[in-house]
Amino acid sequence: MSDHKPATVLRENVWTSNPIFMQVLGICSALAVTNLLINTVIMTVGVTLVTGFSSLTVSLIKKWIPRKVRMIIQTLIIAFYVIIVDLVLRAYMPDVSKNLGPYVGLIITNCIIMGRAEAFAQSNAPIISFWDGITSGLGYMGVLLVVAVIRELLGFGTLLGYQIMPASFLPWTIMVMAPSAFFILAFIIWIGKTIQFRQTKGATA
Amino acid sequence: MDRQGTTYTVIFSFIVTFAFVFLLALTNQATIGKVKLNQETARQSAILSAMGISYSSQADVVAKFKNIKTEQRKGVTLYTTTSNGQTIYAAEFAGGGLWSTIRGVLGVNEDVSRILGLQIISQGETPGLGGRIDEPWFKQQFTDEKIVNGQIQINMHNAGTPDTSHDNGEVDGITGATITSTSVGRIVNDELKTLRSVLGGNS
Repeated sequence: MSDHKPATVLRENVWTSNPIFMQVLGICSALAVTNLLINTVIMTVGVTLVTGFSSLTVSLIKKWIPRKVRMIIQTLIIAFYVIIVDLVLRAYMPDVSKNLGPYVGLIITNCIIMGRAEAFAQSNAPIISFWDGITSGLGYMGVLLVVAVIRELLGFGTLLGYQIMPASFLPWTIMVMAPSAFFILAFIIWIGKTIQFRQTKGATA
Repeated sequence: MDRQGTTYTVIFSFIVTFAFVFLLALTNQATIGKVKLNQETARQSAILSAMGISYSSQADVVAKFKNIKTEQRKGVTLYTTTSNGQTIYAAEFAGGGLWSTIRGVLGVNEDVSRILGLQIISQGETPGLGGRIDEPWFKQQFTDEKIVNGQIQINMHNAGTPDTSHDNGEVDGITGATITSTSVGRIVNDELKTLRSVLGGNS
């Protein structure tokens, strides 16, 4: 298959089949790491890089992978990149690494990465697979950043640690806890789907 | 060779696994020095802060830590130094929180009548809730806090706003993190008991 154009891949992964609000993948980390914007930024950059490079690697060696062990090899490749990210954070950004704690290791379980490796990289050329991984990561990043901005602003009254809300603002404790991400995510899915529905209706009419 | 056959699969899996693990081992080897140094400075700076000693940089931490003596007493590792003519002590502690083991350092004066400071080295409590025990406003409540009746009280009724009095032996807990807050209180009080028995201070 060589009919994948970079621009089409970008539009699909960020918008029309966004991993979070269209495919509903990677929800676990969307709930866990979105209560502080800085953690979300580091985490989503990590996921984007891991998705890109594992898709690239899977695509490079796909010819030699026996079908029986294809999934376990994909997991191995993903785990490899996640551990690299973890080591780099530990060595060069110890404070961030301390903040994120176990979540970096949990990138491995992010369904988006394996989803892209299996659905795209297995049957496409390396460069476009890498691009597919990166753009999927960007789609994930976009939604998570929106959730994180809402949660940090209402939960702590801050953005990236800077006080935004007036001192009299009473923080909403619910925003700090995981359930709030469910509500916000549901709203984002609702809004996203409504806009897409209107667009398709407009196109057919 | 048959690419779907068992022999090929076994050999392929072995080679791929070997290659990736080998690369990981190399990366680990390349970063281990820096990671160890980070952990060690984090521990040393926690001990310094718990004793109320300020520092400016990583190099400053290493330099100031040279003035701290380490001694073993009754199986407890004590860090000690003199500050303003007073002998002060610090010891590392560990105890169970809600999800994780909370490790940290507690600094006390010679007769264990005041806490000099509390620092957290590692914890895995809920980020944004129990994890806030590592935030300055929470830890600063312990700085120079008087120990009343041999212990510290964690106050959950007024949680969320720091307790500014340093003479009432009370510290305000964290809203939405009752178990983590009270666990910190229990761990600190256990550590105070240990330090009293080691240092022989009056309760």
